[in-house]
Amino acid sequence: MMRSQNGAPDMDDSSDEWMRSVEEDDETEASIGSGPEVHLPWLSQHIQSSVSHGHKRTNFAETTSICLSFIQEAVLKHQWQQASEFLQCYFQTLEDVNSQKRHVAPENIWKLGSAILYHHPKSNVETFSAFAERMKNIGVQNYLKISLQHALYLLHKGMVEDAYRNLNQAESWRYGEMSASQEKLVKLIQAYRGLLDYYTWSKKRTELSKFDMDSFATNAAAQDMHSYFRQASVNLHEIIKIPGVWDPFVKSYVEMLEYYGDQDGARQVLTDYAYDNDFPSNPNAHIYLYKFLKKEKAPVDKLISVLKILHQIVPSHKIMLEFHTLLRKSKKEEHHKLGLEVLFAVLDISGCTENITAWRYLARYLKKIMMEKHLDWIQEGWSSRKDWWPTFHFSYYLAKKNWKENKILAVKKAFTSGILLGKGCKYFMYVSKQGCKIREKSVKTMKKFVMKHNILDSEEL
Amino acid sequence: MDFPDNLFPTFFLPGPPGLSDSPGSYLAPAWSDCMQLLKPPQDPSVNPQHETSYVTKWGRWTSDTPGPLPFLRPVAEPWEPELTSRDLLFQGQLRRPFGPKATVDVIEQLNQFLWDHGDVAFGPLGRLLQENFNLGEPKKSQKDRTVMNAEWLVQDLSGHQPKGCPWAHLSARQRRFSLRGGSVLGEEVDGLLGGLLHEELETRWKELLLNESRTGGALGWIPGARPHVGQLAYPTGQACNQLNFQKVKLSTTSGPQALGDPTRILLQGPVRQVVTRTIQEEALVAVRSDHHCAVWRVSRQGHPEPLQVLGTEKGATGISLSPHLPGELAVCTRSGAVCLWSPQDGLQQIYKDPETLVFKDPSSWRWADFTAHPRMLTVADRTGVRLTDVRGPPDRGELLFRVGAEASCKQGERVLLAQYLGTSSPASLNPTLHLICTQFSLYLLDERLPLVPMLKWNHALMSPPLLAQLLPPPCPGAPLPLLLGGLGGHLRMLHLSGGSSSTPQLAAPPQSLPSLRDSLPGFPVLEPHGEQLLQDRLKAPLTGLAAVVPPSCPSPTMLLFQLSAAGDVFYQRLWLQPDTGSENADSLQNSNSCTDHADDPGLDSHDQTTATSSLDTAPIPSAVSWNPRAVACCRRWLKTLLQVPPALPPWTPPTFSLHRLRWSGKEDKGKGREGLQAAMAEGRLLQQGDLGPLPSSDPPPAHEPFGPEDKLTERLEASWEGKGAIWWDSQQGDTQVLRKRRSREKRRTQLSSSFSSVRTTSDFSDIDSRHGTPSPLHRTSEASQSLELSQEPWVRSVPRERRQTLRDYLAVLPSPDSGSCSTPQSQNPSSQTIPTSEPGQHSVPRFQDPRTQTLLCPPPGSSSAHCSQNPSSQTPCSPDTRFNSLSHSQNSSVRSLPSRHTPSLAGSQPRKKKPRMGF
Repeated sequence: MMRSQNGAPDMDDSSDEWMRSVEEDDETEASIGSGPEVHLPWLSQHIQSSVSHGHKRTNFAETTSICLSFIQEAVLKHQWQQASEFLQCYFQTLEDVNSQKRHVAPENIWKLGSAILYHHPKSNVETFSAFAERMKNIGVQNYLKISLQHALYLLHKGMVEDAYRNLNQAESWRYGEMSASQEKLVKLIQAYRGLLDYYTWSKKRTELSKFDMDSFATNAAAQDMHSYFRQASVNLHEIIKIPGVWDPFVKSYVEMLEYYGDQDGARQVLTDYAYDNDFPSNPNAHIYLYKFLKKEKAPVDKLISVLKILHQIVPSHKIMLEFHTLLRKSKKEEHHKLGLEVLFAVLDISGCTENITAWRYLARYLKKIMMEKHLDWIQEGWSSRKDWWPTFHFSYYLAKKNWKENKILAVKKAFTSGILLGKGCKYFMYVSKQGCKIREKSVKTMKKFVMKHNILDSEEL
Repeated sequence: MDFPDNLFPTFFLPGPPGLSDSPGSYLAPAWSDCMQLLKPPQDPSVNPQHETSYVTKWGRWTSDTPGPLPFLRPVAEPWEPELTSRDLLFQGQLRRPFGPKATVDVIEQLNQFLWDHGDVAFGPLGRLLQENFNLGEPKKSQKDRTVMNAEWLVQDLSGHQPKGCPWAHLSARQRRFSLRGGSVLGEEVDGLLGGLLHEELETRWKELLLNESRTGGALGWIPGARPHVGQLAYPTGQACNQLNFQKVKLSTTSGPQALGDPTRILLQGPVRQVVTRTIQEEALVAVRSDHHCAVWRVSRQGHPEPLQVLGTEKGATGISLSPHLPGELAVCTRSGAVCLWSPQDGLQQIYKDPETLVFKDPSSWRWADFTAHPRMLTVADRTGVRLTDVRGPPDRGELLFRVGAEASCKQGERVLLAQYLGTSSPASLNPTLHLICTQFSLYLLDERLPLVPMLKWNHALMSPPLLAQLLPPPCPGAPLPLLLGGLGGHLRMLHLSGGSSSTPQLAAPPQSLPSLRDSLPGFPVLEPHGEQLLQDRLKAPLTGLAAVVPPSCPSPTMLLFQLSAAGDVFYQRLWLQPDTGSENADSLQNSNSCTDHADDPGLDSHDQTTATSSLDTAPIPSAVSWNPRAVACCRRWLKTLLQVPPALPPWTPPTFSLHRLRWSGKEDKGKGREGLQAAMAEGRLLQQGDLGPLPSSDPPPAHEPFGPEDKLTERLEASWEGKGAIWWDSQQGDTQVLRKRRSREKRRTQLSSSFSSVRTTSDFSDIDSRHGTPSPLHRTSEASQSLELSQEPWVRSVPRERRQTLRDYLAVLPSPDSGSCSTPQSQNPSSQTIPTSEPGQHSVPRFQDPRTQTLLCPPPGSSSAHCSQNPSSQTPCSPDTRFNSLSHSQNSSVRSLPSRHTPSLAGSQPRKKKPRMGF
């Protein structure tokens, strides 16, 4: 009964493998009698062999792995020629008896081969293309991936038309049932094609702007341009529905929509891109939306609400200074309060410690708040920073360094430190002392102000 | 600060790791990162120009020598190579005699394995048998004889199954089925499953053997007050408990120089990690041991002063120094707690969760590092990395990285290292980048865009990457070198480019750097033993990595220091050699030529018959070769290394000296002969156990028993003899046996109490060696010479009544010549060895310490009494006794412990004769 099945092995298994296992029958059966009650041939055999001989692997597999390590070594030493020679030997893995290894072989070869060909001094586009064409058809599973990468390679080499043709070809490729991932991949391929359509569209647009109005040629060119827009928009619209990072696609799609006056559509795309919870919290999504709204002259409250979210994700972004200006100009008091927090948050990040604009804004804003008697705002912002800002920003070492490198920065920082830490602060003392030496005017005014107003003294009052 | 304006398109599809058809999996293959292909062309109207490659633009990192050179003298301790997974997995030829201490639970292993790979294990069979099995449905056609009703079989299987062994209870039906089908059923899957199982077992062993405590590395560089002077901080010693601060002078043209001897600090635990950081001109060194963490401040003069020590009950797994605030540290422990620690403000617990972040993983490894925000920390475990705010509640925070489908991780992929790559120079790289290494790949993540890797590269390192260091750009605008070190010594250098407004990219294909093993050709060829020693030494795991950029070099240079687990520090000088056009070291053509060539090298297809152009088939990368200076350096180092006593003293054939026979014969208690004979027959080292247990009374002056039973001594003795496990078993289990053994020992102790003097002498073997004895071998020969000179007077001075005893004794000497020594007056050379009786006549020049002499004196007469009591069975012990003593005195300079706790039979040494002859 069981034997009758032997004639029809699984489709995936090659006949030689089948033959091999049939030949091994005798040995296995011999062990049935002597073994335990229930025989697990695959298990015992392999545990046995791995234990007694060390290597279970066949000689071929051993050689293959050595070959692979040679290739990797050559690639890591940038010996492209040597690597390519080893790779030629490695092609033999395509005929591995182990079906699993045979399955992954094309992908490995493609990865290694494309990397080598990319860097090989004697390789050229034709070589790469020929290699890609071959590899596409070896592993059916990899057709789409290789097509896309091939197209990107061509793009990189400036061969836009070839790349376009390639993408087109890949898009129309069908093989059996499509898996979910393949569907997504096709969408990505389409999106790249849409991006290329967009490039053509924008080229046509610049051409069109040079033409005279209302001529027949203009009309035809405009028609042509519209057709590219239609092609691109369909594909781009599809991809940005799938969660991911699609900055170039979104940007180009929005640009086209804007051109055709579909402001609502563009806003909707950007809002979805920024606020969809399935998407990663991409700061660019918020930045695009903000820039769009700003161009659209949207109300300030709208802008502020967008930037509020960006402030939470990337408190150090340079738009935050713009945000601060918006908040400062706003009529609402809570916005004024947030404006201070935004500045504090910018200066929290280590990459922004010497941002002179931020320090200038902070010094000015602190002064303003002091005059407006909103000391509690400062204290609130300061309470979570007072244990580390003194060492982080206002240490004696930094005072010396800043004064040496950038006197304006040093004065702004000294002013801030004076307000926040009082006149006894090391940073303030050093800068005011140095400033007095060279009779810097700004230092004098700063000193004067700090002597009168700082949060320490105000607390005591 | 700017955020990269245009990120690479990528899918974001959450899910478990190992989804092989995740569409993201191809978006970050190794090559596309280098090619920057995923970056869509910015402006299509402008023809994209061929970007100049890294090599043409910046040059090529080349090394002075093909391998690293020894920097410091080898440490004076022997190095015993560690176990490898191969050693444990395969029974073949184990390099070490001892077996594995850790074991894998095989049943659990197989259980999980079959769950994980159920599709492979059962799927094909199910499909094969589908048509022939009927699972209890009403039969469609009675005629089909090939369909079997498997209903009962399945019922049997789902019945009683004791845990762990489903086959313990078998029905006759099952048995019949397995016998009939067994031969056919298994074969379909055996290749696949066997391979997977084997791979899995090795992975398990590797996991068990992965010394995660070494994460981060134990080599640190502390820049000094002057730019060309600095210090290396690293541990040495067999227990890694000695922290060294070695001053180093950097030279612009040649290699670094060690200035004087290192400052040594002896710690009470092994040093696992050394972190150094200089912020605002304050240099700090943080050290992690298993249960302690400590911080030192290094003064401008270079003196380390301890600041504070922190004890951790559960054991610390990671320590890092803040790049923002001087003196602030993050410490994490096995209990899952992460603390912010500063010597001024003490400890502040930030996060505590004994569970892992993303999914359940048994590892208790935790890691913490800083971020671009001084109040935010990353907390990492094997499953992911989390951003945690110091000020906020501990449960707030978001995941920065997750082992899952977002980063297209593989199944079984785990985080091994998470490091903050903050740079101080704003133009080079975003200060928000984090490096995350797993056993397969390397990821760069921006903390402003969590979960989406900015860069992924398959590092293909053969060993877990536990060390990483980002270096400043070699010249302004150049990409930043990122060094990655695997535990096995493999090194990779990546070139990260991308300013603050673009995503980080690999500017050039990553390259490998020479490891310690590549230095082997630089050493002279040795005899096999020495060669093995050297190879073991060079193959020792890499435990520390420190790259230093020497100031004011004509061309960009870096010095790469490497610390191996054997305690050796090697260095290598790398410099950026400007590209000289087509004349390149490894025949790499100028990249402009790539479009000109019409004839491709035959790579357009996988047609193997295509011949390769043989024009440039010999790309030898190492234009550098071993220069005489490097070879001399290696030679010097090797010379010192070979002077280091080996871990186990090599077996030397015993030289039979009758003097020794005579001397040691007294210790025999009958059992010794068999033991010795067995040892000789097997050609192995004679052990104390072969000669019977040792006396425990009359301890040496330094030794004090730890109680009435003195189990500690017993245990120490047993383990010294290699019978620790037996001792333990006997302690645990059969007290009967123990009691018997003890009573036997007691009896023996009484009998052999006089041997204590022997033991005492052995205690002073190191004293002796301190007094300038060149080597035990010399000593022996000198001593026997003096004996020969003095034998005649001795024979004459033997009292008459004792001569018979002596004769009896000499008659049984095994020497071939001993037959003729029936009389002491015989001229036979064998009688030369009979000791002198006149104390004054035998010179014992090496005992200058009168105290030693008195200590060596046994109760007069007792030894002679034994001698006459039982002379016949003394002799066999001596050859190996001598060997024992020899090995001990050799060891004594290395290990003082054994000579103290292991009473040896070193009494056979000639100099002890004098006090014995006190009658």
